[in-house]
Amino acid sequence: MCARAILHVDLDAFFVAVERLDNPALIGAAVIVGGRPEVRGVVASASYEARKYGVHSAMPTAQALRLCPHAILVSGHRGRYSEMSARVMAILADYTPLLEPLSIDEAFLDVTGTEAHYGPPGRLAHAIQARIQAELGLSASFGVATNKLVAKIASDLHKPHAVTVVPPGEEAAFLAPLPIRKLWGVGAITARELERLGLQTIGDLARCPIDELRRRFGASGEGLWRAAHGLNDSPVTPEHEAKSLSREETFAQDIRDRNVLRRELLRLSDAVAMRLRRHGLQARTIGLKLRYGDFSTLTRQTTLAEPTDAGPVIYEHGLALFEAAWDRRAVRLLGISGSGLTREGRQLRLFEQGDQRQAQLDAALDRIRARYGERAVQRASLLEEPEELWIGRETE
Amino acid sequence: MRVSVLQENLAKGLSIVGRAVSTRSTLPVLSNILLSTDEERLKLAATNLEVGVSCWLGAQIEDDGAVTLPARLLTDWVNSVTPDRIDMELSVRSMSVHLKCGRFESNIKGIDASEFPLIPTGDGEEPLNLPPATLRKIIDQVVFAAADAKDTSRPALTGVLARFEGDRLTLAATDGYRLSLRRTALPAAAPADISVIVPARSLQEVSRISGEADPEQPVELAVAAARNQILFRLCGKGEAEKGTFYQVALVSQLIDAKFPDFNAIIPKSYTTRTILDTAALQRALKVASLFARDASDRVIFSITPGETETAGRLTVRATSAEAGDNVSELDAVVEGAAVEIAFNVRYMMEVIAVIDTPEVVLETTRSDRPGVFRPVGAGPEEFTHVIMPMQLQR
Repeated sequence: MCARAILHVDLDAFFVAVERLDNPALIGAAVIVGGRPEVRGVVASASYEARKYGVHSAMPTAQALRLCPHAILVSGHRGRYSEMSARVMAILADYTPLLEPLSIDEAFLDVTGTEAHYGPPGRLAHAIQARIQAELGLSASFGVATNKLVAKIASDLHKPHAVTVVPPGEEAAFLAPLPIRKLWGVGAITARELERLGLQTIGDLARCPIDELRRRFGASGEGLWRAAHGLNDSPVTPEHEAKSLSREETFAQDIRDRNVLRRELLRLSDAVAMRLRRHGLQARTIGLKLRYGDFSTLTRQTTLAEPTDAGPVIYEHGLALFEAAWDRRAVRLLGISGSGLTREGRQLRLFEQGDQRQAQLDAALDRIRARYGERAVQRASLLEEPEELWIGRETE
Repeated sequence: MRVSVLQENLAKGLSIVGRAVSTRSTLPVLSNILLSTDEERLKLAATNLEVGVSCWLGAQIEDDGAVTLPARLLTDWVNSVTPDRIDMELSVRSMSVHLKCGRFESNIKGIDASEFPLIPTGDGEEPLNLPPATLRKIIDQVVFAAADAKDTSRPALTGVLARFEGDRLTLAATDGYRLSLRRTALPAAAPADISVIVPARSLQEVSRISGEADPEQPVELAVAAARNQILFRLCGKGEAEKGTFYQVALVSQLIDAKFPDFNAIIPKSYTTRTILDTAALQRALKVASLFARDASDRVIFSITPGETETAGRLTVRATSAEAGDNVSELDAVVEGAAVEIAFNVRYMMEVIAVIDTPEVVLETTRSDRPGVFRPVGAGPEEFTHVIMPMQLQR
């Protein structure tokens, strides 16, 4: 079998980097992008200067500021991050259609067979890295390997602004000295359990007999063993083959005001609808995710008679799910998802011309947003919302 | 009550009234079937309060009386015993019925017949007469286009519009995506011009029962506007035959809603007119449906005119990301411009299934405007099916 060439691209301190583009005064300083400590904000992204003090994302801002008191706190600009992310993805898409965005600042590329065109994958990674830097002023790290698992681990290893190449056949040797927690897919709980067995490095895990892993971890034991050997054959799946599209918000402050929650639902519904339309998809199933202050989480879903990509329809069903599920307690996180995705054309209606008009309106609004940014046109009911209410999360 | 009835006849009677039994009711007696003696016949009746069905069977009546028995248990019992004579005797004191058939003997507990709702049987209304085969055909040609009864947001669309105008009857049904329209001449003028909406489920029952009625005897149809009901009375094939009924009366509530103005959405013109062999189209749709299943049931019609009018072509395409794809080609008489249009294959199959002429015509304009199916050779007003396409590209 011919070895694949997979690139994992990870933007370095992405939110901070975008803030620095817009405000050069932040360059060189310890910068934290996140919610304000008064509203129990959390760190969404920290510059490398701040990370030296132990600041990391998802840490409460108050704690981060204690660790690094001279850090400059910036509240986020979500629209800008999405916009810059889209521009990075557009550059990546120039090299292969097999592009799988993993989050706002990460993506996999399958560049197998492009060697004749672009040279060896390591050289290609350097070329893309240079282009992102030159065109957008953003720094990115690359992992190059024969599969997604190893590429992802490699990109993280020498951050920032690094290209780490793992040649074919050296996957296991590359992983062996790394701590088990670095293994993609191994959560904190599994890692603790493995460490209790005396396994410290991925190499330790690789040497563990597969039967013992099967006995202890059941079906996932074999997966662990394969991962430790650097074996992974999951394909790079372009996003339109995603099983679901979702948007969720963690509020800096838990919310119990029904009107505010409804407004958030509307915003999330619109956002999911816009993403569906951007990908030419429609969702047959609408899901709601609700997390309370005590982290208890519930999900509900409903299946529609016909798939939709219209915000008001998603909102209508999302709201019904919410009203049925919400027990009036303060809400920490709200999410809306669309699944059961289809890209087939919708069944047109004989009578109600309303939804056809809605589709035309949506298309026009999408064009405006594509040109002038996501916030260029908004529902009036969404205008009053203060910026602090949401905070996205940059992935590590 | 003491009654003897042939197992085949009772089984038939139970299958006729059984569909009207309420499946989810807070009223226990609605899960039961009423058995009562009525002028030397055994009458069975069931209702879910939307539709009520009564069926008279030839029987030997020893003692008059009435009782209700659980529909499910009684039906299963009758369908399980041997095809012999069933003797039933009600014990009024214990409200249970002793049943004996061949070497089977059972006692089934019932509920007092006085608790059963009164089902009007239509006496006193002035009826219209229609041959059962005609009634069945016109119902079948429209009823499938009605919206699902569970769609409570649009009650009018869960029914079939029946418009009586002089000696014309028009039936129409639409679920918002397609419209089926059937006009027929009545043997005599209706007593009054009237439009009513009949639940599609009720008409499906009428159609089903019509298939087993005596073809020589007309179905009587009457609208009781004051009671907001429509009534149908059908005659069985005669008592000499086993497994038949003497008479059936079905009464249905009407839907009190406004039916949409369907005339406005029937296209007045077309740019492409395609005549197709009905059986060939049916086969092509069937094959395409195998691949359209996981692609929202979408099939794409490409219609191309030929050098001469008769040398036209229809290609039916269906593509599934998972299963594969299919292309079928059909000869067609194409008049007008080439057109590409996508349809839901299930909708197409349903309409083709009720067209019984050897050829069918499809009239189209644009890929986002409705297409019209008509049987070739039938009168232009007889049957029209308007079907909205699916979006072509996305």
